[in-house]
Amino acid sequence: MAGVLEVRDLSKSFDGIVVASHIDLTLKSGSIVGLIGPNGAGKTSLFNLISGVVKFDSGTVLLDGSPLDRLKFHQRVRGGLSRTWQHTRLFPSLPVIDNLLIATHDYPGERLVNVLFGRRRLKAHDSVARDKAVGILGKMGLANVADDLVSDLPYGQQKLVGVARALMGDAKCLLLDEPMAGVEGQAYAAMQRVVREVAESGVAVCVVEHNIAFIRDLCDEGVFMFSGAIMARGSVAELIRDPQLTELYFGH
Amino acid sequence: MEYLYGIIIIIGLYVILATSFNLIIGYGGLVSIAHPVFFALGAYTSAVLSRDFGAPVLLAMLAGTLVALLASIALALPSLRVSGDYLLIASIGFQLGILEVIKNVRFTGGPGGFTNIPPFLIREFGRESYVVLVLAVMIAVILLVWWISRSDYGRAMSAMRDDELAFSSIGRDAMWMKIAIFGLGSGIAGLAGSLYAHYFRFIAPEQFEILQSSVILTMVVVGGLRTTWGPVVGALLLQALPQAISFLHLPPSVLGPIQGILFTGLVLVFMFFRPQGLVPAKEVWRAVQRPTGKAGENR
Repeated sequence: MAGVLEVRDLSKSFDGIVVASHIDLTLKSGSIVGLIGPNGAGKTSLFNLISGVVKFDSGTVLLDGSPLDRLKFHQRVRGGLSRTWQHTRLFPSLPVIDNLLIATHDYPGERLVNVLFGRRRLKAHDSVARDKAVGILGKMGLANVADDLVSDLPYGQQKLVGVARALMGDAKCLLLDEPMAGVEGQAYAAMQRVVREVAESGVAVCVVEHNIAFIRDLCDEGVFMFSGAIMARGSVAELIRDPQLTELYFGH
Repeated sequence: MEYLYGIIIIIGLYVILATSFNLIIGYGGLVSIAHPVFFALGAYTSAVLSRDFGAPVLLAMLAGTLVALLASIALALPSLRVSGDYLLIASIGFQLGILEVIKNVRFTGGPGGFTNIPPFLIREFGRESYVVLVLAVMIAVILLVWWISRSDYGRAMSAMRDDELAFSSIGRDAMWMKIAIFGLGSGIAGLAGSLYAHYFRFIAPEQFEILQSSVILTMVVVGGLRTTWGPVVGALLLQALPQAISFLHLPPSVLGPIQGILFTGLVLVFMFFRPQGLVPAKEVWRAVQRPTGKAGENR
């Protein structure tokens, strides 16, 4: 079965420093792939290359069979490729609910014509978006903080809002960059549940994570990266047992 | 009375300029110093079209607004494609270059200025009617910028200023939003220019020098960036100040330098003691209205 997202022979180097070397990666609908590897292995760089934050040198990225190579970051997102950030990157000047509402892919409320002449349609659109946002927040146990400013939330909840925001645009493929870093307690359980539910709804998910327990419990497949290249793939349990990879991970 | 009307109109026009510049630099986060030249483009377009091409003044004013708007988009398009910082550099060149062109071509009257601009409303309804017109436009502009800042569009502007990369990651293009903001703000400056031309009926390049840019910037900064009333307060204060000094009956040779020192001093004092300006901005975006029981009610 062809994947939702296909990365083929992707390479990139900055002034001779290789951050991605002939990467092949397939993300399938409904499955979760865990990207593991030591710091500097190129995991986040790979996300940046796939999503278009950084241009790659060679290779190609296909989303649902069509190449993304010529599209800009925001266009790829509109096409159904969503991502989160290691350091949340929320909008601090907006309440939680607006951080989500702003992430829908249509916004008739920003067109003057609609504001002047389409009040009823706008209201309908607004309530649909609001219901969706409230629904997503509810699943994450954040319904009661919907009106708070994101900067007032504990860090773990901010990470959840970041994932919630990425889900507002009906993603086909979701890239999660260290969703568990700094997340504990209730937020940890919520994150686990949400990521699983997202995958079950048919989204292709890829997670970069140092929390091996999280990866092991959640991922259908593990991919081990080291200095810009994929060293091994397989079940996460297998990868963890491999003494060679463990040595690479923890250094010499 | 005529003297007073002139002052009111000048203050009204500076409120329009400061408010539209606040849209660009405050809400849009775009640094440009070309605001005076868009003011000039509006003034010259409207003046030339109405005097030398017999266009009705109202139409000429519209054309002036449109020329400023299109010119600003032409300036923003290439520079914002590269990066936001290039807009500042490009705007310096644009401000100096266009003014140099105005000084050196014949149909603008050159450095001597453009005279005998057809008046508007004044002959038929008296000077008062023009005062009313300028104040009406001023109020409309204040309301427009206020509404934009509180609307869904304002919410998006707020998010874009917070984090441009995150703004892209929700599928949105910051570049076009910046171009729209810059175009609208500059178009409003053009409108102010055409309003200026048909009241004072004489325009000259020195009225639109780069120094004007710092005057407008001072109004916005002293008044309060990203607030509705900041630029209004700033424009009032900074226009009243020179008028007040002129009552001291100082010789003209010291009047100019004293004004310059006062303006610079004011900016320095504000930078040190009140960087948020007279009217401090709320760093949180607020909506025009909210459905009851939802976000924003208890804040």
